[in-house]
Amino acid sequence: MDKKILIVDDEAHIRMLIGQTLEELEDEGVEFLTADNGQTALEIIQSEKPALVFLDVMMPKMNGMDVCKNVKQDMGLKDVFIIILTAKGQELDKQKGQEVGADIYMTKPFDPEVLLIKAKEVLKID
Amino acid sequence: MAKISLKNIVARKNETSQVIADLIRQLNANIWIEDGNGKILAGDQQASPVSVVPVSSDNETIGFVKGDGKAGLIANLLSQLAQKESEKKKLGTEVLSLYQEINVIFNFSEKLTQTIEPDMIAKITLEQAMHSISPNGGVIVLWDEQSKSLQVPASDGETLFNYENIRHHTSLLLKIGLSGNSEIMTDLTQLKEKNIINAEVNSLMYAAMKVKHRIMGAIILAGKEHEQFSAANLKLLVTLALQSSAGIESAMLYEKNIREVREREEAILRIHEVTKKFVPHEFIRSLGKETLTDVKLGDQVEKLVTVLFTDIRDFTTLSEKMTPEENFHFVSSFNARLGPVIRSNNGFINQYLGDSIMAIFPENPEDALRAAIGMQKAVHELNEERKQKGLPLIKAGIGMHTGTLIMGITGDEFRMDAATISDTVNTAARIESLTKYYKSPLLLSDRTLHYLHENNGFYFRHLGNVKLKGKNNLLNIVECINGFDDQQFQRKLQTLSLFNDAMSAYHEKHFENALQFFQMIASKDPDDLTSIYFLDNTKRYLREGVPHNWTGTEEMMSK
Repeated sequence: MDKKILIVDDEAHIRMLIGQTLEELEDEGVEFLTADNGQTALEIIQSEKPALVFLDVMMPKMNGMDVCKNVKQDMGLKDVFIIILTAKGQELDKQKGQEVGADIYMTKPFDPEVLLIKAKEVLKID
Repeated sequence: MAKISLKNIVARKNETSQVIADLIRQLNANIWIEDGNGKILAGDQQASPVSVVPVSSDNETIGFVKGDGKAGLIANLLSQLAQKESEKKKLGTEVLSLYQEINVIFNFSEKLTQTIEPDMIAKITLEQAMHSISPNGGVIVLWDEQSKSLQVPASDGETLFNYENIRHHTSLLLKIGLSGNSEIMTDLTQLKEKNIINAEVNSLMYAAMKVKHRIMGAIILAGKEHEQFSAANLKLLVTLALQSSAGIESAMLYEKNIREVREREEAILRIHEVTKKFVPHEFIRSLGKETLTDVKLGDQVEKLVTVLFTDIRDFTTLSEKMTPEENFHFVSSFNARLGPVIRSNNGFINQYLGDSIMAIFPENPEDALRAAIGMQKAVHELNEERKQKGLPLIKAGIGMHTGTLIMGITGDEFRMDAATISDTVNTAARIESLTKYYKSPLLLSDRTLHYLHENNGFYFRHLGNVKLKGKNNLLNIVECINGFDDQQFQRKLQTLSLFNDAMSAYHEKHFENALQFFQMIASKDPDDLTSIYFLDNTKRYLREGVPHNWTGTEEMMSK
């Protein structure tokens, strides 16, 4: 079964950026999915069961924290690895991220290399 | 850059793949799609296709559509999609590289905020430039305003620069590196001739470090390859240079501020030290204050103190033979000898009045007495020196009185002074002037004697009452003999009871007896000028008689 990565961010250039950073994973058969709001993200997670989700916090309709809580607690999808991405310096978010069950918390601007390494680790790709 | 994969267009579970599949079906096209390696991505392979049409993106074949005549149409569509995909990827790559640059600058700024040392900022900046641009070597040169020279606070990578020559060929570097421009240099001959850079260097790029229009230095990177640096490299270097310039500027300002604050503190401390010398700390402390700045007009305190006056006897005669400058030096050296004696006995000098000193002993009269004896010793020592130099000897008179005193700050808001207002001061001064009269070097009032807790080791001679001019109260004058030199002190000690007997007889108007006693003293101690004074009086009273109401009180007609 092909592995799927969902990129959730309301900013198109961030979605493009993450996609571009992880481009080489396409050769490994990884499929990329995107969502520009929390609501859509939840629907996609429900139907596609991605292995990894990059989740922005500040988004319209439903914010990342609520999406994360929904997935991890309400849907019970504990195996979906969630990386929360948020703007630098919002340290309170970090604590909240842990509370809602996020697996990793990363700050923007993120280091693309670190992002790729992390994704490979989660998807168990060498 | 990764090639566009045909598989991602036609064989993924996405809308595009779905549309292509639908299109093929509805066209009823009998075709199949292969990738560049001949792997079938869609449709079924058949023997001998009628047409084989390549799918290309950026003029590169990424696969084929094979089958019936409709293959061309499908291939064309796929090429279009691939081209779009390629453009999207190019854009994505560009965004990624911009983002990476932002990330570099972001992290760099963060690192800069963690240091306030100019040299450290230079090192961090060069490290970042080395990491992001990968030259073979790099230096940061900074113009040091204080030493008016170029400094090299940071260098990294291979040794491609001659740091000594960087410092020496300032003008050349000023012309190129510090001109305020940033550029990739094409002509390196001059720099190589002056041996500023190594012969191996084939690429050189620098960015000026500046704040507003002031050039403070430059980051210079060297590469061994030809055309090693790109315009994007230069852009990044300029960004780093500008960021660190601001950092270095504020770090330098910070250092300067710290330095100035320290200097100001030292100046204040020096002023404080100096004011202590003008207004004694003891005076300020007596007012319950710590420093002169705490003191305000009208502050005052009343205390029981012993006031001591000392004066150089016959100073006018002495000073007539000296120039004003010699005079000043003489008084200064005299005061310099007496000051320490006063301080070491818990007293402080309240005032210098030409050749005389006024000191206050706030704790107890013993202190004043010990100081007075010490001062007399100091005068003896001074006289020993003067004797050897053939100079006239000095005589000093010391008088003291104990009583209450108001210490306070007087004056007006523009001119203030520490002042002592008390009759005790006047009386002490008057007692000091009595030393001339009684020809004794150390006199005190019986008030001082009264407040003496213990008179261990002190020997006194009571000289009788004095009525000072303008005063109603009588003052009982006492002489302390401890300050005489050893020989004289011993003699006075031996004649002490004789002296007491003589004074009793004198006051009881038994002048015959008194004469006898004083003459005996004079024969034993011919230098006892005080006894001689009373001997002369006795002779006079014997000769002229005394009034009926004579009590022995000396009336001082002059001050």
